[in-house]
Amino acid sequence: MSSSSGDGRPKLDIGGIEQAEEILEQRPPKAEAAQGEAARKQSGRRGLTALWAAPGFLWLGFYLIAPLVFIVLVSFWTYQVGASSGFVSNWTLENYSELFHDSVYWDNMLSSFYRSLIAVVACLLFGFPVAYFLALKVNSLRNQIALFILALAPFWTSYLTRSVAWTYPLMGREGGLNQVLGKLGVPGAPFEQLGFSGLSVTLAMIQLYILFMVTPLFFTLSQVDRTALEAARDLGGNWLRTFREVIMPQAMPGVVIGSIFIFVLTMGEYGTVRVIGGNVISSVGTIVQSKVEIAVQYPQGAASAVLLVVALVVGVFVITRFSNLREDL
Amino acid sequence: MNRRDWSKWGLGAYFVVFLAFLYAPMILMGVLSFQGPFGSITWPFQGPVSLEWWKSLFDANVPGSHADEIRASGEVSLWMSLAAGAIVSVVAFTLSMAFRRKFRGEGAFFYLVMLALMTPGFLLALGTQLFWSWLGEAPSLWKTALGANVIWGIPFGFLVMLAVWNRYDEGIEEAARDLGADQKRTFREVTLPLVWTGIFGCFLFGFTLAWNDYDRSILLVSGSEIQTLPLTIGGLTFTGAIRPDLYALGTATTLVSLGAIVLLLVVASVRLRFVGRRPAPAIEEELGVAEGLDMGAARGAADSK
Repeated sequence: MSSSSGDGRPKLDIGGIEQAEEILEQRPPKAEAAQGEAARKQSGRRGLTALWAAPGFLWLGFYLIAPLVFIVLVSFWTYQVGASSGFVSNWTLENYSELFHDSVYWDNMLSSFYRSLIAVVACLLFGFPVAYFLALKVNSLRNQIALFILALAPFWTSYLTRSVAWTYPLMGREGGLNQVLGKLGVPGAPFEQLGFSGLSVTLAMIQLYILFMVTPLFFTLSQVDRTALEAARDLGGNWLRTFREVIMPQAMPGVVIGSIFIFVLTMGEYGTVRVIGGNVISSVGTIVQSKVEIAVQYPQGAASAVLLVVALVVGVFVITRFSNLREDL
Repeated sequence: MNRRDWSKWGLGAYFVVFLAFLYAPMILMGVLSFQGPFGSITWPFQGPVSLEWWKSLFDANVPGSHADEIRASGEVSLWMSLAAGAIVSVVAFTLSMAFRRKFRGEGAFFYLVMLALMTPGFLLALGTQLFWSWLGEAPSLWKTALGANVIWGIPFGFLVMLAVWNRYDEGIEEAARDLGADQKRTFREVTLPLVWTGIFGCFLFGFTLAWNDYDRSILLVSGSEIQTLPLTIGGLTFTGAIRPDLYALGTATTLVSLGAIVLLLVVASVRLRFVGRRPAPAIEEELGVAEGLDMGAARGAADSK
C-alpha cells in the first residue's frame, strides 16, 4: 500500500523531463499526503539518497576535489629545496609574479590556444557531416547503432598508442604520407612540416578527438524530427533554410558540448603532444611537466596549472554563451 | 536517382573516408609490425612477412627484447584496470541511484561528476601527487594511480547509467512494492536484474580507460615500481630507439581494448535475444508485468551499447 508517485518522482536527465513531470503530477497522492505520511517518507528518502551518494562522494572528494584544491594551495606556497615534499606552506605570490614575466609560458599558452581553436573548428566542420549522416540518413536504428559503434571504437584504445601510430607509420618526415606525396611528384615533398611540428600536433588532435564532437552531435541530431524536415521541404524551404531553421536550433546544444570537450581536452593535452611534437612542440601540459619532473618546482608547476584552469573556465564560459544548454537540451 | 539519394550516398562515401581517416594509422602500424628482421619504423615494408617482432614481445631471448618488462607491466595493468572497472561500476551505479530522486543541489551534484570528465589528466595527476606528498605518502600504483583512473571512469559510467534510468520504467518497482516486496527485495530482484547490462557497461568503461591511460598515471606511479603498460610504451617511445616491436605492442593493447567492446556487444545482444525469446521467468510472472520487463531490459541493453 505504501507506493506513491509523489515522492518517487523519477529522475530523468536528458530531454523530456518536463513532459514526464507533467504526466506524473497528474496523479499526486493527495490522500497519502493528507494522512501525514508523506513528510516522514520524504526524510527517509533523503537519507536513502544520501546513502546512495556517499561512496561516490567520498571517492570524488578524496581523489578529485582534494587534489584540485591542493593545486591552488600549493601555487601560493613556497618552493624549498630541503623539504621532503619540495614545498613548505609559507604563503607567497612569487610563483605567479614569476610566471607573469615568463614569456615562454605565455607563448605556449597562446599557441596551445590557437591549436585548440583550430581543432574545435575543424572537428565541427569534419564531424558534422558524419553525425548528420548517421542521425538523419541511415534508416534503421540497428544500422545507426552499428555504424556509430564502428566510428566510436577507436575512442576505446590508447591515445598514446594512437599517437605513436599517427606519428611514425603515417606522418613524419619519412612517414607514409610524405613518401606517397614524393612518389606522386608533389612539388616540395617531402614536407618538413609533417614531421615534429605544430601542424602535425593539430592534425593529430583532430584525428584523436573528433569523436568527442561526433557523439554529442549524433545524439542531438537524432532528436530532429524527420517529418519536420519533410514538412519544411514540402513547404518549399530550400536546403539552406531548412538547415538553418530546423536543423541548427536542434543541433546547437550538441555543437556546444562537443566544442567544450574538444577545447578542454586539447588544451589539457600532454602525452600525445610529447609523442607527436617530439621535443619541438610544447603545450601547457608539457611545461608543467618539465617544471615538476625535471626542476621539481612544484609551486611553480601548480601556478601554471591554475592559470591553465582559469583559461579553460573562461573558454568554456564563452562557448556556453552560444546556447542555453539547460533549456535547449 | 533523385537528389535525396545523391546526398545520402555522398554522405555515405564521406563516412567511409572518415572511417579510413580514423583507422588508417592503426592499420598501418599493425602492418608494419609484421616486418622481417630488418624492418624499420617507417615504410617501405621490409620483408619477408614474419612474426619476429611479435615474438620479441613474449620471448626474452630475442635480442633487444623487452619481454620481461612488458609481461610484468601487462600483468600489473590488467589487475589495476580490473580493479578500476569494478570500483567504477559500483561508484557510478550508486551515484546514479542517488540521482534518480530529485533533491536540492542536484545541479551541483551533476556538475561535480562532470568536473571529473573535464579535468585534464595530467592536472589531476599533479594535484593528487601534491596532495599525497602533503599527506607524507609517496605516490604508488594502488593508492594514487588507481584512484585517479577511477575518477576518469566515473563520469562515463554515470552517463551510461543515466541513459539506462532514462528509459527505465519506474512502474515496475512500484508494482513490486504493491505486491508486497520490501525495498531490499525490490532492489535485488527487480531493479538490479534490469540494469545489470548498464552496470557491466560501466565496468568496461572503467577497465578500458584505466588500461589505456597515460596522462593520469605518469606522475602517480613511483619510479621504483613496476610501471603500467602505457607507461612502458611511453618509456619505449621516448627513450629507447623505436623498433617495430613497439608497433606489435601497440597493436596488441589495441586489440585488448577492441576485444572489450566486442565482449560488451555480445553480452548486450545475447541478453536482448535471451530476453526476447524465453517465456516470462518466475519473478516477472509473479509481478504480472512480463511484457514491461522485456521492454525495459531490451531498452537497457540497447542503451548501454
